[in-house]
Amino acid sequence: MRIMKNRSFAVALVLMMLVSSLALGQGTAPAGQGGQTTKGAVIKGKAPVNKEVLKVKLPRAEEATLKNGLQVVVLPMHKVPTFNMQLVVLSGGLSDKADYRGLSSFTAALLREGTTKRSSKEIAEQVDALGATLTATSGLSSLTSVVNTGGLIENLDQTLDLFADVIRNPTFPQAEVDRYKTRTLATLQLQRSIPQFLAAEQFQRAIYGTSHPASLVAPPAESIKKLTSKDLADFHSTYYRPNNAILAVVGDVTLKEILPKLEKVLGDWQKGDVPAATIPQAPAQADARIYLIDRPGSVQTVLQLGTLGIERTSPDYFSVLLADRVLGGGPSGRLFLNLREDKGYTYGAYSNFGGSKFRGTWISSSEVRTDVTEGAMKEFMYELNRLRSETVPAEELDNAKRAIIGSFALSLEQPGTLLQNIITQKIYNLPADYWDTYPQKVSAITAADVQKAAQKYLDMSHLQVVAVGDASKAREVLGKYGKVELYDADGKPVTGGSESNNK
Amino acid sequence: MRRVSKFLSPLFVCALAIVSAQAQGPRNVRVDYKETTLKNGLRVITVEDHSAPVVAVSITYNVGSRNERQGRTGFAHLFEHMMFKGSENVGSGEHFMLVFNNGGNMNGTTNEDRTNYFEILPANQIDLGLFLEADRMKSLAITKENLDNQRNAVQEERRLGVDNQPYGKSGEIQQELLYDNFAYKHSTIGSMEDLNAASVEDVAAFFKMYYAPNNAVLVLVGDFKTPEALAKIRSNFESIPRQPDPPTVDMAEPEQKAERRASVDDQLARAPRVDLAFKAVPGNTADFYALQVLSAVLQGGQSSRLYQKMVKEKEMVTGVGGFMDEKRGVGAFYTNATLRPGVKAEDIESTIYAEMNRLKEEPIADWELQKAKNTTRRNLINGLQSALTRAITLGQYTVYYNEPALINARLDKVAAVTKEDVQRVANKYLVDTNRTVVITMPKAKAKPATGASGQ
Repeated sequence: MRIMKNRSFAVALVLMMLVSSLALGQGTAPAGQGGQTTKGAVIKGKAPVNKEVLKVKLPRAEEATLKNGLQVVVLPMHKVPTFNMQLVVLSGGLSDKADYRGLSSFTAALLREGTTKRSSKEIAEQVDALGATLTATSGLSSLTSVVNTGGLIENLDQTLDLFADVIRNPTFPQAEVDRYKTRTLATLQLQRSIPQFLAAEQFQRAIYGTSHPASLVAPPAESIKKLTSKDLADFHSTYYRPNNAILAVVGDVTLKEILPKLEKVLGDWQKGDVPAATIPQAPAQADARIYLIDRPGSVQTVLQLGTLGIERTSPDYFSVLLADRVLGGGPSGRLFLNLREDKGYTYGAYSNFGGSKFRGTWISSSEVRTDVTEGAMKEFMYELNRLRSETVPAEELDNAKRAIIGSFALSLEQPGTLLQNIITQKIYNLPADYWDTYPQKVSAITAADVQKAAQKYLDMSHLQVVAVGDASKAREVLGKYGKVELYDADGKPVTGGSESNNK
Repeated sequence: MRRVSKFLSPLFVCALAIVSAQAQGPRNVRVDYKETTLKNGLRVITVEDHSAPVVAVSITYNVGSRNERQGRTGFAHLFEHMMFKGSENVGSGEHFMLVFNNGGNMNGTTNEDRTNYFEILPANQIDLGLFLEADRMKSLAITKENLDNQRNAVQEERRLGVDNQPYGKSGEIQQELLYDNFAYKHSTIGSMEDLNAASVEDVAAFFKMYYAPNNAVLVLVGDFKTPEALAKIRSNFESIPRQPDPPTVDMAEPEQKAERRASVDDQLARAPRVDLAFKAVPGNTADFYALQVLSAVLQGGQSSRLYQKMVKEKEMVTGVGGFMDEKRGVGAFYTNATLRPGVKAEDIESTIYAEMNRLKEEPIADWELQKAKNTTRRNLINGLQSALTRAITLGQYTVYYNEPALINARLDKVAAVTKEDVQRVANKYLVDTNRTVVITMPKAKAKPATGASGQ
């Protein structure tokens, strides 16, 4: 093993003017000179704002690699006597076979249901008695499977022992597998009562078709039904290998303190030849379509509108980041200010984007009372088009930059965020100084970059619109935007309603 | 916990869960705070902490939905929304923009017992945070247009969280059945009808009565020098005039004499659900802490008795859980279970009652007591990591119990709970005459021929 970095946790505060903050507060026509109104907000400009963005120095992680290839990353934070730890296995849903979607997520879910040393019940009792948590998850289209634990630092040794046991020795007892199948099949039904679930399910299909793993938001029932203990054990023994994993720790512990403990419980974990996942490219963007899911009894229409977005490593990442922030990144975004603060249609309206090693989505969404579905559609279209057709005013863009860069100060007391950033950098092979130089990359984006990103990705000829609500009322409204394809709450096309989708 | 917020903010879902301590050995975390009261009665608590370059500001007003009158349910929360619609020097919506555009985060939340507002900002924006809170305490701008706008937003919040969700109405029905005193006998989100009835005059009167410095606690936690911060606080807040103390609320809750029961037909639900509540005690009492420990044993995590019995052994439910609610007045002990297809609600009830009876008859195991104490100790300690959670918690303990020191004392109060205490409170509160049961059944789908949007 070798220690690559060992700088102690230190926060140096540097006050710095943002390069692009020249327009702030003054100098441009729409700036805060009092009485200026943007849609949904009145800017009086009288509150005392410190124009300097507090630049912070991010803490350094301490790193090492065990002989068996396990990468270890430790971020010491000694404020409170607790710790959190993640084993990030670099294989997830993208390693599932096409006819067995969900296997990686089932494997993770059943990891703590029995080992060669402990029964499911013993694991539950021992974890809870320590005041610890122990969970494992993997997504249907994820790059990774993640085992999480956390607890009181005085119980570190015992918690590590449990953590290593479920990682290395799960037996996937058939009786537990059967219980899991029963429970999960029932849960699939319950999810169908949640309107946001129905919307997400249809939206992912609209973007990714039928064969891409990201087309699914819940594992298919067929996969659950055929699940056996052996399938899980095979997935586990193939992919859960130290040379295919990163162990990330944050909390009241140093690398020097924890390494001997990790050596003890994970040092003799055997390497393996791990097959690389093939990254499935997203299908070509479908033509614009409108899907309506009839959910009788609904008093709101859940609206999700969007397109295929970018890969995490796309050169357009920072342009999209800023465009998304301006469009719908929280209560200061255009969607919130327009649909809620100006129109009163909704409790909230937001946009978000995500990208993996394949292209992610860029979605705008809201829940609105049924009788303003039409007005909400109009405003969504207005805001999406505005981002494409107009450059973002200098002050608005600058505010978005300040928001993103300024929030780094807050992350210094969010160990989970700091740890996630480090893991993201490793998974996507981003440069080692990626987060240190993040503010500069944000600052460098121009209004023209933002507009170009909007024009490139928010392509209205490919816009997918999904609505969940009372079809008897929403259908006619949505029909004004194109042909409406009607589905029921079980995800089945309603005959006579439309053509079928997902070709 | 039932509470409603200004807007959805996953960052700040902070559970003030049960808390525990170990008498010796492990390091504990102390919060060193300073208390100051301004001339106008505003209580100020400051915690200087240079470990991260942030400052958290919270203001907790001693008003919640318990202060509402008949015909104005939901008003305290609707009012909370009005606090973001502008004041003399801050435009409507400008509050959001100033906080987020400077790298901060914020929200406001209302529950039965209090209303709070909070910001967390980079440390160099301390003046901004104080100015925003002081300006709206001083000079809230109240217009019909803004009221109508936020009435709409709040009604959508209700639809989003209650009317358009499976089981959304069940909790509200249970609350109305459980309590006799109007203070708690209605939901914080309120009824559509009452929200419609709220007027500009109501807003102005509520503001004058409750949003006074002598009815609030301001907490500042973070990277500042205390004397400088106090000087800033004085210059921002001390000129705001004191108001007459608001009337106290009668929180007396009569003893329950017989089981109460209701059934709900829910068109949006796909499986039956059982909701149980047992009327219990106010928060921060010995019995309250014992009931929290009991809750951890009965229904906390995968090792809990109900999870092992009902999810694993009998496979009766897809989920089971619950909590001991912390209230200034009489809180309740809650348990709920969502049924698997083909299971009868009465079998669910009898299984839960059998497990409750076991708690009455036998002491809990050593490991179960240890679990409750360790879990709660960890939750409390983790909460102390964030400046914002400390600010919110100190404000809440001060308004609830007039006891900011509870932030340091709470561990000991849970540590003091014994097995005998758990057995005693099981016998005292988990009894059938003290029970309120709501059974939700999925309503058979009617063809939506008329397109009625209610249910």
